[in-house]
Amino acid sequence: MHAAIRLLSAGFGCLALGPSAWAHHNFAAQFDADQPVQLSGVVTRVDWMNPHVYFYIDVLNEQTGEMENWGLEMGPPHSLQRRGWKRNSMQVGDAVSVAGTRARDGSLNANARRVTLESTGEELGAASSEDSGN
Amino acid sequence: MNRGLPACIALLACLVVRTGDVAAQEARPAPRWPDGRLSLTGPPGEIGNWEGRSFQGATLFFVAPADALDPNTTALPSNLHLDDVPFQPWARALFDYRQATLLKDEPHPRCKPSGAARLFHTPYGMEILQLPDAGEIIIVSVGAPHSWRVIHMDGRSHPDEPKPTAYGHSIGHWEGDTLVIDTVGFNERFWMSRLGPPHTSQLHTIERISRPDFHTLRYEFTVDDPGAYTDIWTGGWNLVWVEGNEPFDYLCQENNIDMERMVGPQG
Repeated sequence: MHAAIRLLSAGFGCLALGPSAWAHHNFAAQFDADQPVQLSGVVTRVDWMNPHVYFYIDVLNEQTGEMENWGLEMGPPHSLQRRGWKRNSMQVGDAVSVAGTRARDGSLNANARRVTLESTGEELGAASSEDSGN
Repeated sequence: MNRGLPACIALLACLVVRTGDVAAQEARPAPRWPDGRLSLTGPPGEIGNWEGRSFQGATLFFVAPADALDPNTTALPSNLHLDDVPFQPWARALFDYRQATLLKDEPHPRCKPSGAARLFHTPYGMEILQLPDAGEIIIVSVGAPHSWRVIHMDGRSHPDEPKPTAYGHSIGHWEGDTLVIDTVGFNERFWMSRLGPPHTSQLHTIERISRPDFHTLRYEFTVDDPGAYTDIWTGGWNLVWVEGNEPFDYLCQENNIDMERMVGPQG
């Protein structure tokens, strides 16, 4: 299992605040637009529930050599389904890469904006509160 | 000066204009029931519901400077500038604090009821169900903890001492094609709109709802709260009809792990 983590330090600026800063929760209250993240790892759990689908991936921190388990927030199941997701679109054991924005509290959590299945290259939107519009 | 507003302005100024879909919709007259009464839902066979859009301050009571960036904002043109909202000093200070802390304390994301105007810009839309046989109108909010609000249309008055609740006690009547809702009996455990202009249990609201065309729901909200404001004031926005939207099984409490993570700028 090869996984990698890259924390990007700049570049998203205003874009990350997006039109949906007011979705279920104010995006900016929970996630820091100045901390975009790019994660690659293996899915360990998927919680297909409201108000946000969460999935978890094991990610190797190349700086520490430690394996970290990150939690990634997406939109609600309904919004994901409207964007083509099915409950089995992503399953435990799948290798994925994720572009998102890190939680302000410093925990290993982030809002996922784009999810890519590494086995097929299929790119799935995440119905993120960053860019869903509502 | 707007002490806590910079964060709000910065946020609004960064929002992306997403109005093309609204502007492109075909102009149609508002539908009516067989008795001629204005319909606040879709006609038979047409699925949709109302969304209070969240771009560019579209669903604020008041006009923040950034609103001027978006000619397509759905905020009503008659809205007050923020500095003209007659806050009492404590209310303005609390409002500014809420902006400076990025709305981290908002009750709605904690799956609490969204009273007053807050119900008109919850995510995923809302429906207004007219039930003339029952003498009621029921407003259903999709993106909430299975929330609804009852408007009594049977001519009753407010009770002398209504039990304070998040939605209050609402009585309504029609003035032509405008639904007028008078509400008292609020508690203080909700924010009356997204940005959190404060209110007290003295809050008395008048809402005026009309449908100037098929795709537009005009929402006007008058605030009468001598506990938080020095005068009565009014604001509002247009909601848009989103074809294909319909209620889905959204239960906010199901797995809400955001609550402890909304830490604001100090996180």
